[in-house]
Amino acid sequence: MNYQVLGKPRDRVDGRLKVTGSALYAGDRHPENLAYGYLVTSCVAKGSIRSMDTSKAEQGPGVVAVYTPFRPLKLYAPLSREEGGGPGDEQPPLQDRGIRFYGQIIGLVVANSFEQARDAAALIRTEYDPAKPVLTWDEGLPHAFAPKSIEEEGSTATVLAPGVTHIDDVIRQAPVSIEVTYREPMNHHNPMEPHATTAIWDGDRLEIYEATQGIISHRRTVASVLGVDEDRVHLLCPFVGGGFGCKGSMWMHSPVTAAAARDLKRPVKTVLTREQMFTLVGHRPALIQQVALAATPDGALQAVKHEVQSTVATSKVFIEAAAHRTSRFLYKSPNIQVSQKLVPLDVGPPTFMRAPGVAPGMFALECAMDELAVKLNLDPVELRMRNYAEIFPGKNVPWSSKNLAECYRIGAEKFGWSQRRSEPGVRLEGEWLAGVGMASALYPAHRGGASAKVRLLADGTAEVSSATQDLGTGTWTVLAMVGAEYLGLPVDRVRPALGDSMFPPAPVSGGSQTVASVGTAVRKAAESAIQKLIRLAVSNAKSPMHGLAPETVSYDAGYLAADNRRVAFADVLNAVDRGAVEAVESIDPLSHDGRYAYHSFGAQYCEVKVNRYTAEVRVQRVTTVMDIGQVVNLKTARSQVMGGVVFGIGLALLEQSLLETGSGRFANANMSEYLVATNADVPYIDVAFVEKPDLVFSPVGARGVGEIGISGIPAAVANAVYNATGKRVREFPITPEKLLLGESGSPRISVI
Amino acid sequence: MRPFRFTAVTSLDQLGPPGPQTSFIAGGTTVVDLMKLEVMTPDELVAIDQLPLRGIREDAGGLRLGALETMSAVAAHPAVAGGYQVISESLLQSASAQLRNMATIGGNLLQRTRCSYFRDVHSACNKRVPGSGCPAITGENRMLAILGTSASCIATNPSDLAVALVVLDAQLRLRGTGGGVRTVPLRDFYLEPGDRPDRENVLQPGELITEVLVPRPAAGTKTGYVKVRDRASYEFALTSAAVVLNMDGDRVRKAEVAVGGVGTKPWLLPQVGAALNGRALDRTNLEAAASLAANGAKRYPDNGFKVELIQRTVVRAFSRLGGLV
Repeated sequence: MNYQVLGKPRDRVDGRLKVTGSALYAGDRHPENLAYGYLVTSCVAKGSIRSMDTSKAEQGPGVVAVYTPFRPLKLYAPLSREEGGGPGDEQPPLQDRGIRFYGQIIGLVVANSFEQARDAAALIRTEYDPAKPVLTWDEGLPHAFAPKSIEEEGSTATVLAPGVTHIDDVIRQAPVSIEVTYREPMNHHNPMEPHATTAIWDGDRLEIYEATQGIISHRRTVASVLGVDEDRVHLLCPFVGGGFGCKGSMWMHSPVTAAAARDLKRPVKTVLTREQMFTLVGHRPALIQQVALAATPDGALQAVKHEVQSTVATSKVFIEAAAHRTSRFLYKSPNIQVSQKLVPLDVGPPTFMRAPGVAPGMFALECAMDELAVKLNLDPVELRMRNYAEIFPGKNVPWSSKNLAECYRIGAEKFGWSQRRSEPGVRLEGEWLAGVGMASALYPAHRGGASAKVRLLADGTAEVSSATQDLGTGTWTVLAMVGAEYLGLPVDRVRPALGDSMFPPAPVSGGSQTVASVGTAVRKAAESAIQKLIRLAVSNAKSPMHGLAPETVSYDAGYLAADNRRVAFADVLNAVDRGAVEAVESIDPLSHDGRYAYHSFGAQYCEVKVNRYTAEVRVQRVTTVMDIGQVVNLKTARSQVMGGVVFGIGLALLEQSLLETGSGRFANANMSEYLVATNADVPYIDVAFVEKPDLVFSPVGARGVGEIGISGIPAAVANAVYNATGKRVREFPITPEKLLLGESGSPRISVI
Repeated sequence: MRPFRFTAVTSLDQLGPPGPQTSFIAGGTTVVDLMKLEVMTPDELVAIDQLPLRGIREDAGGLRLGALETMSAVAAHPAVAGGYQVISESLLQSASAQLRNMATIGGNLLQRTRCSYFRDVHSACNKRVPGSGCPAITGENRMLAILGTSASCIATNPSDLAVALVVLDAQLRLRGTGGGVRTVPLRDFYLEPGDRPDRENVLQPGELITEVLVPRPAAGTKTGYVKVRDRASYEFALTSAAVVLNMDGDRVRKAEVAVGGVGTKPWLLPQVGAALNGRALDRTNLEAAASLAANGAKRYPDNGFKVELIQRTVVRAFSRLGGLV
């Protein structure tokens, strides 16, 4: 494929705005007469509110209004997902006195300044009739249930070889097998930008600034909760300071704020505090995963069995599909079984978090593969190659494009995998033990329905617009680049526009789908705009190409050409006295007709050091090779993979949300104690791509890059820790005490 | 945050007797934080950052640090970095560059615990509201103390600098509201919680730390600070060790160690130093001495590992200083 623009590194078109602080986020809006909302949240996890004394708060300086279940704002239940709503909260706040989780919205204080609202909120005295919440695995497991379906299969999905009646028989009889359990705690997304809503009513029209990953779905959902026509809601979201999934849904601070603004007839802005972001906007569930692998002595897998238990909220089901999205298909095995049960707890709603299902599932599967490789005395890469799946097991269809073997090979070469010492705990470097590990990476490819507009302007520039959003990933630049590619123009002559619900609709930026979805719509709109230009050029009497047969006119690099004539599109438009020619085009979601499976794959290698005295783990270097189809912007794609790696380091070594078993409060709901990687925790990350456009999947050849970067790193880190120390830690995060005090039968890290 | 009066002083003479709810503010990195959480609700803040309490000087007796010097300035000062490495190392492994540029030495020594129950006004906490209870003892206590704890409180003193200054036997110059001045060894400055965890040190109402005096280590002494934490930067210690080592050939002439992250106050371990004095600095002797580090420790559900980790931290710190690794 010979692209002019795609696949090259390109600075962000919005980079200057961002580094100069000129990019205005949802919380940066200061309309005239703005009032500030501050959410009041529950301090018990279950029960009901007996009373709320708001008298002192109401008398606080600058306080405009105090809303509670006793003085509510009317809100309706949101549209369901089937009706086109978002997957956020299902119950609007302030409509009843019930408490379903700690940190639930029970009030909104509105004042003339943020500080006045916050300080008044602290004066509200709430009395509860508490009930005993369910907050631990032990309490929740008796209530575990299997959902009806997961990833379009049963909650238990099984592939068995002819003659096999139960996978356990295979595991029991296999020459080599392992059965291991992996655990991980809840995680929180913690984007740098907190969720924020600024709501401005003009009569019955609402203008609302949001921090969201889905402009169109957010608008529809907030309208349904407010009980207004979505056509009267204008949602703006030009910039998002990170989402990672927690801005993929409409959460209830948004309609509460808009309803207060409607009630008060003045603009209201609410920005969530960091602590509120731990209970109101989702988290990744905690998981217990059991993996059993059975193999022949030469490493051919005979059975892959992966059982998942994941937490959900009693008030909201969310399936962290850890096995169905990984072990179901990654390896060729005659017998495969994946299953999942959900364990309800009285916590805030869980939701997607970067690489949902995949990141935890790959931790379990790829650590188990490493354990099997050790047991077989096989190189972990070789074990994976011996079980390489050319077709999707059980469905027996090929992938639209799969180059995982190349990823393993290139990654191994770049990393120097052949230098690895397979015996663990033998590389001593000063006061550190060193080791290496690897894992596969994968993420499903998604392509949703999307639309875009392309305008060719009389000044020789072009505009590309879509109601998509840029989470910080680089979508602004991608729009410009895809537009430039298919219009044959330099990127700086293409103006992108997004973040506004007035533009043609686009899907949620989740599931790594934006480039493939919106990019495809942009390509189609660009081609359509060119056709309209040609028709105009041959049909308008003032056009220098008037009268030519349209099929004799071609378009290339901003010019129309026919015979020996070459006319710039700007000259055509000026000749016919038109400001622009434009086209809006939509694409349907990718139809899964059963002929192909669609996934991106990759290989991730890392080296860690573990302090031989005190067992801190530090990642030393990472090599990652990704097969994501066509890369659009090499620079931001690389950044996406690096960001995923950083996320993966956090998942493996640092991040854990501490749910207090008594109260249901998250004890570390702040950035001091919820540890994300600092710069000092992140080594050099070598990022490479196998650039093979996947034109079966999308006309731009791209499959998406937002999430795959995290998928293999947690297991690669854990496997490297084993290689460094000889100690398997099967519970994330891998903190010093788990290496020092380990399970019985597992060697302690020794002071050498 | 509750309403408060704000006054600023430029000379010590302007300091009058404080009200019962008066708080000093210097760099503000603790006070402002806790006022926003309403953990501290002073009705008056007296800004002392313009007082003439600056200066980093070294003379024959040792180092004199003005209480208002910032963490960054002290860490970078050639006299400190050259002769008192344990101070520089402890400071540079604390907080972030931005915080170190604001936070003062005096304020660092008075920073409050990071115990998450202390910082959440909806939780009980004997330190914040005496008599209300201590949920930390049965709650999330991975980061909390194993030494000096009581049935009322197991909160850790979070300061890295204090650990370094305790091992160096620093003295604090304190000025009372009447202008009276006294000197208190840092080793006697902090109080264990007992049944009054709200009392954290021996400061009298209105009394101010004006200066920190650090005796000069004997010639040939090496000092260093090892901090163990989950992430590589910007986190409080799981465990830490500040060590002083003076060798006589291959034998230890004098060893001292104080530890952090494990105590309700910076914890001096005289028994560990004593066990090394006069002995060869080798792994056997180090491990034997370090095995005394957690004497008297009480384990709580999530932090029992610190009993072993602190011994390992001590071994690591002396091994580094003694060139064993």
